[in-house]
Amino acid sequence: MNVLVCVKHVPDTETRVKVAADGLHLDLGEANWVVNPYDEYAVEQGLQLKEKLGGEVTVITVGGDDATKSLRQALAMGADKAVLCSDPAFEDADPWSTARILAAAAAKLPCDLILSGKHGVGGDNQQVGSLLGQLMGIPVVTVVTGMDLEGTSLMLKREIEGGTEVVKASLPCVISCQKGLNEPRYPSLKGIMAAKKKEITAWKAADLGLDPATLAPSFQLKKMELPPPRPAGKILSGEIPDQVKELVKLLHDEAKAI
Amino acid sequence: MKYLDDARDVKFNLFEWLDLDTLLKAERYKEFDRETLNSVLDEALKVARGSVAACNESGDRIGATFDAGKVTLAPGFDKAYQDLAAGGWIAPTANPDFGGMGLPESVGTGISEFIMGANTSMSLTVLLSRGAAHLIESFATDELKAIYCEKMYTGQWGGSMCLTEPSAGSDLGDIKTKAVKQEDGSYLLVGEKIFITSGDQDLTPNIVHAVLARTPDAPTGAKGLSLFVVPKFRVNADGSLGAFNDVVCSNIEHKLGIHGSPTCSLVFGSNGACQGFLLGKERAGLLLMFQMMNAARYEVGVQGLGIASAAHQAALAYAKERLQGRSMTNREPQTGQVPIIEHPDVRRSLLMQSAYCQAMRALASYTGWCMDMAHITEGEEHDRWQGLVELFTPICKAWCSGWGFRVTEWALQTYGGYGYTCEYPAEQYLRDAQIACIYEGTNGIQALDLVGRKFRLQEGKPVKHLLGLAGKTAQDLAADPVLGPSAMQLGSAVKALGAVLTEIPAKDNAMLLTLLNAVPLLDMMGHTVSGYLLLQQAAVAKTKLAALLKDKGVDASDKAALRAALKDSAEAAFYNNKVQAAVLFAHRGLPLVGAQAVALRAGEVAPMETVF
Repeated sequence: MNVLVCVKHVPDTETRVKVAADGLHLDLGEANWVVNPYDEYAVEQGLQLKEKLGGEVTVITVGGDDATKSLRQALAMGADKAVLCSDPAFEDADPWSTARILAAAAAKLPCDLILSGKHGVGGDNQQVGSLLGQLMGIPVVTVVTGMDLEGTSLMLKREIEGGTEVVKASLPCVISCQKGLNEPRYPSLKGIMAAKKKEITAWKAADLGLDPATLAPSFQLKKMELPPPRPAGKILSGEIPDQVKELVKLLHDEAKAI
Repeated sequence: MKYLDDARDVKFNLFEWLDLDTLLKAERYKEFDRETLNSVLDEALKVARGSVAACNESGDRIGATFDAGKVTLAPGFDKAYQDLAAGGWIAPTANPDFGGMGLPESVGTGISEFIMGANTSMSLTVLLSRGAAHLIESFATDELKAIYCEKMYTGQWGGSMCLTEPSAGSDLGDIKTKAVKQEDGSYLLVGEKIFITSGDQDLTPNIVHAVLARTPDAPTGAKGLSLFVVPKFRVNADGSLGAFNDVVCSNIEHKLGIHGSPTCSLVFGSNGACQGFLLGKERAGLLLMFQMMNAARYEVGVQGLGIASAAHQAALAYAKERLQGRSMTNREPQTGQVPIIEHPDVRRSLLMQSAYCQAMRALASYTGWCMDMAHITEGEEHDRWQGLVELFTPICKAWCSGWGFRVTEWALQTYGGYGYTCEYPAEQYLRDAQIACIYEGTNGIQALDLVGRKFRLQEGKPVKHLLGLAGKTAQDLAADPVLGPSAMQLGSAVKALGAVLTEIPAKDNAMLLTLLNAVPLLDMMGHTVSGYLLLQQAAVAKTKLAALLKDKGVDASDKAALRAALKDSAEAAFYNNKVQAAVLFAHRGLPLVGAQAVALRAGEVAPMETVF
């Protein structure tokens, strides 16, 4: 089974986030960039399928040259090939454009299954996987926590509110992976050294037959701001019964917690 | 238990300070580049933070247990060990021909710091497996190498080092375990060993012991010892496991710390069926064992660093959150409590912890780099680097374990009463750190090795060379507006140490003074060398900080602008803090060299005149 795994190069969730001077971007100059944690489940699932059924795992990303770091990590985990879709026209790609880029690339990379994380941390749009399936005209199953192959179909467990849903989907399809699906392996030292020798294919807009003019974002970012700083705490004084009354009042009127 | 690392400083040492490019150009390391080595450190850190750190607390609270002749490790150790073995982290610097990855030692030092800091007990099994395998690789027949090395380097089998006996500890010359040669060339061993770290465990199906024993006609004392490979299970010709080899674990110790690591008493040959194989020649055992002991001693120094750094990082995180007391500039009771990191005394302690951790890291990284330089050079140049490695080995072991323990004590103090409770990790770090001062040769033995052997090595060239370099750095930085006063402290330390090393040998009671003061002498060397290396690092950090500030358009002479830039940029703060740590170490650490020189130069021998 040949599997295509979509990964995203994202700032580590422990990064101290700052808004840049233009108020429209984040200043991520000193951020530590990593593979989107949910995409690690997708890579692991691809590798497990390869180990069981044979075939190849190809990882793909849309990003700048620095995104090769995430591709190398996936290669170090055991993926066979990697594709970097990188072009100045892709820089501000929104989920729709990203899905179009991936769909164009997937058309050049015949595969039986496309895996991605349930969402990319940072952007949190949760759209790319679904849009990709729509563009390719194949089924999409999201937030998957279990997967079994039955003939040419997949039996998939989905996490839903308060329970689990079991879905059958025919191949090829797009699956977005959720924590619990597997436990991603650590890249080994041998894997890291082997990854260095694996080639990363680079595709630009022209290689994918995409007109840069059609990739402009479909919405305009107006403002980006951090949550307001936490206000100072209050220490109540006086007799205990009075303090309790005051606490209830504050919880009701100010904190609106009760 | 969460492991808080200092990967930023580990990477500074490797990528911004040491001359890595010279190594990477050498044939031996041509497979590696900076990007790959960066990934190697990142991935090692992931494993350390993940399954290895996850069982550090269960290792302490539940610990290794012994029941009905069987050793069982704490929950989680099996998973952590499997992750370490599968990832190639058991022997990342070992020979690739036998399953190692051939990484530079200076990179291995960083990996070891992460694993030891995340879970010391777990790391000991790793350390001993690769150490015993390296002995086999160096001194065994090709047949034995083929049987054991790869399985041990890849973690399929474990290893241990069996030296100590009930009446032979620091003085191994009294070892009684017997080895009698058989017709087939192998030996039958009979004896008892104690304090054997990972002498038995349930992680691997076989454990391969490196055992010091005495052949029947051998002379008494250390010169009569031979070294043997003794597996727990015999190995068949096809590499599969055969019969039990009569090595029995009779008990494990109940200890102050490293509860997760089984410290075993082993009985060899109680049924007359314990087969061993000679390494090298008979009666050359201790010399060969020193190879493993030296590597292990260096790694125990890294252990001191790893635990100290983890303890410091945890204390630092606590100090930023714990509210207590009022600000120094506004003591009104109605104002809110402030995080304790605002209090000058807490800040002093935290920077002391950080400075000593950085000093230990500089010393350990530089020693690892010297090992690499010795690997890639020949002739006189090789001898020069090897001389430094040998000089540094006892200093790394004793100075980093001794001050590493002290750092864990300062870190515990940061928490106040909570540090003394099991609710926080400080007390475990303190307990786990202490053993590093004792095993692999107590710190007193390390000091005797330094003054007895290493100072005299190559007619004293390495120590003279080193003090020359330190003195030159002191001179070079003397006029620096920021580092000048620190350089002066380094110059004073070099002078004091130089005077002691010249004056003591000329005294009538030179031998007594040297033995009496071996430990202070080692401490003086440790401080002087570390102070020298830290000032080198500070000079690099200062230049990088200036470049960063220039990029951001910040005028460093405008204190408010500088403070805002340091708050805004973690990188700028890192370089600034490295400079400050070096300044603190120069003013609060280096003067200890001169202070200790007072007793030595005065020829004070009060301990010998005392009636105990």
